[in-house]
Amino acid sequence: MKFKNYAKPQNLAEAYQILQNEKNAVILGGNTYLRLNKKTFSTAIDLENLGLNFIKENDENIEIGAYTTLHEIETNAIIKKYFGDFFTKSLKHIVGIQFRNIATIGGSICGKYGFSELITALSVLNCTLVFHQNGVIAFKDFIENSQTKNDILVKIIIPKKCGRLSYKMLRNADSDFPILTVAVNKNSQLNIAIGSCPTVAKLISAKNELENISEFISQNFTFGNDLRATASYRENIASVLLKRALEETL
Amino acid sequence: MKISLNINNQKYDCQIEPDETLLNLLRKLGFKSVKKGCDTATCGVCTVLLNENPILSCSYLAVRADGKNITTVEGLGKKADAIIDAIVNEGADQCGFCGPALILTVYALQKELKNPTMEDVNRYLAGNLCRCSGYEGQLRGIKKFLGVK
Ligand SMILES: Cc1cc2nc3c(=O)[nH]c(=O)nc-3n(C[C@H](O)[C@H](O)[C@H](O)COP(=O)(O)OP(=O)(O)OC[C@H]3O[C@@H](n4cnc5c(N)ncnc54)[C@H](O)[C@@H]3O)c2cc1C
Repeated sequence: MKFKNYAKPQNLAEAYQILQNEKNAVILGGNTYLRLNKKTFSTAIDLENLGLNFIKENDENIEIGAYTTLHEIETNAIIKKYFGDFFTKSLKHIVGIQFRNIATIGGSICGKYGFSELITALSVLNCTLVFHQNGVIAFKDFIENSQTKNDILVKIIIPKKCGRLSYKMLRNADSDFPILTVAVNKNSQLNIAIGSCPTVAKLISAKNELENISEFISQNFTFGNDLRATASYRENIASVLLKRALEETL
Repeated sequence: MKISLNINNQKYDCQIEPDETLLNLLRKLGFKSVKKGCDTATCGVCTVLLNENPILSCSYLAVRADGKNITTVEGLGKKADAIIDAIVNEGADQCGFCGPALILTVYALQKELKNPTMEDVNRYLAGNLCRCSGYEGQLRGIKKFLGVK
């Protein structure tokens, strides 16, 4: 990735203004994925001065600032208290510690990458995203639509109240991209997300216990081929991982 | 653009391109222990410490290092020797290309994790790829160095 100018605005309004004024400006996250982009941008906007690196709790929710790094999330005591090792499991295989010390939650969400393990995990937690211009958007809506183009993600709000959680994945080798990811949140209803299909995670909420897992999967999810796995392999693996995840939430 | 950063406790005032990576800047300044391997955020040989935390300098923009502390293996001085000895004593130094990054990451691991298990060590070092040692010798040395039971 190349860019001509670097801007470090002092507030969100200023950052947003640059995005509006220049067709070809870009927001920097940790720059881990962006750097692979072949484009030349006019201005790269660094939000480092805007205090978006935080993990806070209030009565009902955990709030995570868009610039919080993946490693901060996987080691944070508040996150551990409410979600156990759910986030650690979904983050610990992403490249290495050097990578997770710079990659941010905001970049991981806004990239909407098919292989994103954090998106699979967040999908089942009924979270909402707060954008500077578009305000509050349900996580599922954001993933399925793209009305937030040219906006700035400020924070992620995760309700503390959740059911029993499980995260499962399969990859060929440690620190490689995953072949398939599954997250389950079992509360009064069942939230099931399957990602790396290889398309981005999809959330399905089911009311009752699943009677037939493979039927549920073939009815609700579609899989594709890539260099890591075929569609049919993914579909078979999805049943196995979902079964294991459901057992963990019993 | 002008930036000013601390590298191994010494202040450097530098003229940089806005989109230059920290890796490029460090190598230009002569810190050749910081290697350019995959240049796609995968192999870990460009690891340096940013305010004591290991990061990939191939992905980190130089401009973001303005006012911050960077440590390369040269800056560890004697603190690196014990780690190097532990690895060399197992005959696992091999070509040495990944060595500086590995040493920095082991140093950071020792500071960050208290009483790590071998699983913790493997997890922490997963982002440091080595093409010739097969890891076993390195890990034997690191295990001894850290006193992992
Ligand atoms: C070699 C490699 C291996 C990987 N392996 C895995 C893996 O196994 N599992 C996995 O889940 N992921 C994997 N990833 C993806 C990784 O998780 C992403 O690279 C990372 O999460 C992106 O975060 P970032 O902060 O660096 O974002 P950036 O790369 O900086 O940005 C990503 C996108 O988000 C936009 N953006 C960033 N912040 C904001 C904001 N606040 N508001 C609006 N837009 C914003 C940017 O403009 C850009 O379009 C891998 C990536 C690489 C390069």
